[in-house]
Amino acid sequence: MRRKTVGYLFVLPILVLILVIFLYPLISTIRYSLYDIPFGVKQGPFVGLQNYRIIFAEPVFWQGLRNSVIWALGNLAVQLTIPFGIAIVLNHRLKGIDLVRAIVLIPWIVPAVVVAICARWLLLPTMGPINYYLLKTGIVARRVNFLGSLGLAMPTLIALNSWKFFPFGTLLILAALQTIPAQLYEAARVDGANPWQCFTRITFPLVGRIVWFIGFLAFVWNFNIFDLIWLITQGGPGNTTQTLPVLIYRTAFKTFRPGEASSIAVIIMIFLAAVGIIYFRLLSPKKEERIIAQ
Amino acid sequence: MSTRRIAEVSINYLVIAIVLVGVMSPFIYVAFSSFKPLKEIMTIRPAFFPHQPTLKNYQTLLLARTPIRNFPLFLFNSFKVSIGTTLLTLVLACLGGYSLARYRYRGRELLGRMMLFIYVFPTILLLVPVYKMFSRLNMLDTHFALIIVYTALAVPFCTWLLSSFFRGIPPELEEAAMVDGAKGLTIFYRIVFPLAAPGILTAGAYAFITAWGEYMFALILLMTSAQRTAPLGLATFTAEQYIEWGPLLAGSWLIILPVVVCFLPLAKYFIRGFIAGAVKG
Repeated sequence: MRRKTVGYLFVLPILVLILVIFLYPLISTIRYSLYDIPFGVKQGPFVGLQNYRIIFAEPVFWQGLRNSVIWALGNLAVQLTIPFGIAIVLNHRLKGIDLVRAIVLIPWIVPAVVVAICARWLLLPTMGPINYYLLKTGIVARRVNFLGSLGLAMPTLIALNSWKFFPFGTLLILAALQTIPAQLYEAARVDGANPWQCFTRITFPLVGRIVWFIGFLAFVWNFNIFDLIWLITQGGPGNTTQTLPVLIYRTAFKTFRPGEASSIAVIIMIFLAAVGIIYFRLLSPKKEERIIAQ
Repeated sequence: MSTRRIAEVSINYLVIAIVLVGVMSPFIYVAFSSFKPLKEIMTIRPAFFPHQPTLKNYQTLLLARTPIRNFPLFLFNSFKVSIGTTLLTLVLACLGGYSLARYRYRGRELLGRMMLFIYVFPTILLLVPVYKMFSRLNMLDTHFALIIVYTALAVPFCTWLLSSFFRGIPPELEEAAMVDGAKGLTIFYRIVFPLAAPGILTAGAYAFITAWGEYMFALILLMTSAQRTAPLGLATFTAEQYIEWGPLLAGSWLIILPVVVCFLPLAKYFIRGFIAGAVKG
């Protein structure tokens, strides 16, 4: 056998798997969104854009879209800023830093179901330890219903999700920081630069491009999160935390309308693709900066 | 050391201390609480340490089994699915990673990039079609379906990780073995495998962790309670009328334990692998 053929053969199983689990569903989602599929039936009649019309007429969809955007942007804001600070600290050569870096990653590997159960218990309004300590230290005057009140459920979920995913941003930003030669900082220090100047003149321009990319990755990942929201609030109270992924699950598996669920999925796909194009084509950092970063 | 340097170092340690407390305190609190009797868990005046430590929560969870509340079985199912995923992922990722690292062919660069960029794919899209696909194949409610999906989720990153490990092994070693008459698989087994062992362990741990904690696909693909994985099983306990927090906290700890044990010794390689990936991608 020729060497080339062997090379192809070795990646073939992965290619097949990706085609079956990612690409084929992508195409069938688009197809399903054009059919009326009663649950359990293999194939219903072709209905054109009717599923889309139904979805667009439902206020729940528009609320879900708004929730999703708030959710994704809120998470993004927290997950880019705080990890940036932590990554800068972890980039120093300090004693025991390897162990610290490892421990910081733990929230990320902890299953969502564990985070959800612990958070629900810790945040209980009357019996929850967090309320107890907040009252005791005088931070709040009355017990707070974090997950049960309309205005607080979403910010609380964003905080919980960001707690779970901050290690990811931290690690990637740390990776970017490690590409900067230490001599640059030493030279700047000799010239009398303060830490803030070091950050704005060296760190930020050099890692900007990578952080830019991490921003997009974080946006997409957060946008798609289903498990944590479903396990903590199921989209409640009053649909205030019902993002589009939660709505897709509810539509397909609770109210049994897979056709409409598929059309929401297609809308998500178009939306994220549009965000990606705008993000990288129009808002991307200038060419010059990119060359420096490389 | 100048005073400014001392100030900088102490700020660093302060930030690290805050981060560590923020990361660890919920786990430690939950760990201690899982040994508390119910009246200390459900109280308006909770304490950090249990007054009367008890194993009752763990006993309830592990010994008071009913067909729909069979946590030991759920743990066993999770181990089965996770180990299946790990093995399948490793076989595919070793082959694929080796191919990307050693063979030259058209589209190789593109394939390598795809392994990372596939993670921008919105997985929520898969919900309906993956359910329909396995339903058509009569594979709903099987662990095999989960293993396939989890492998697809883990294999691109593992392939990428392993290809970078394989690239670090000088090809001369393999060529020398070939001159000595060794065959393909022997070379891989005797030379590549031992040298890439940290990479293979890390890829394996990644696949295991991915499968161990996954909830969404388990929720849609598994139907009967006997098939449930541990995250799914534990989550169903919270949907009951009366939530028993004690056993839930105990169960949370039993789910965390394997991933942490799996991860901490390999954290160094994880971090190195991700850092290499981030810089290239």
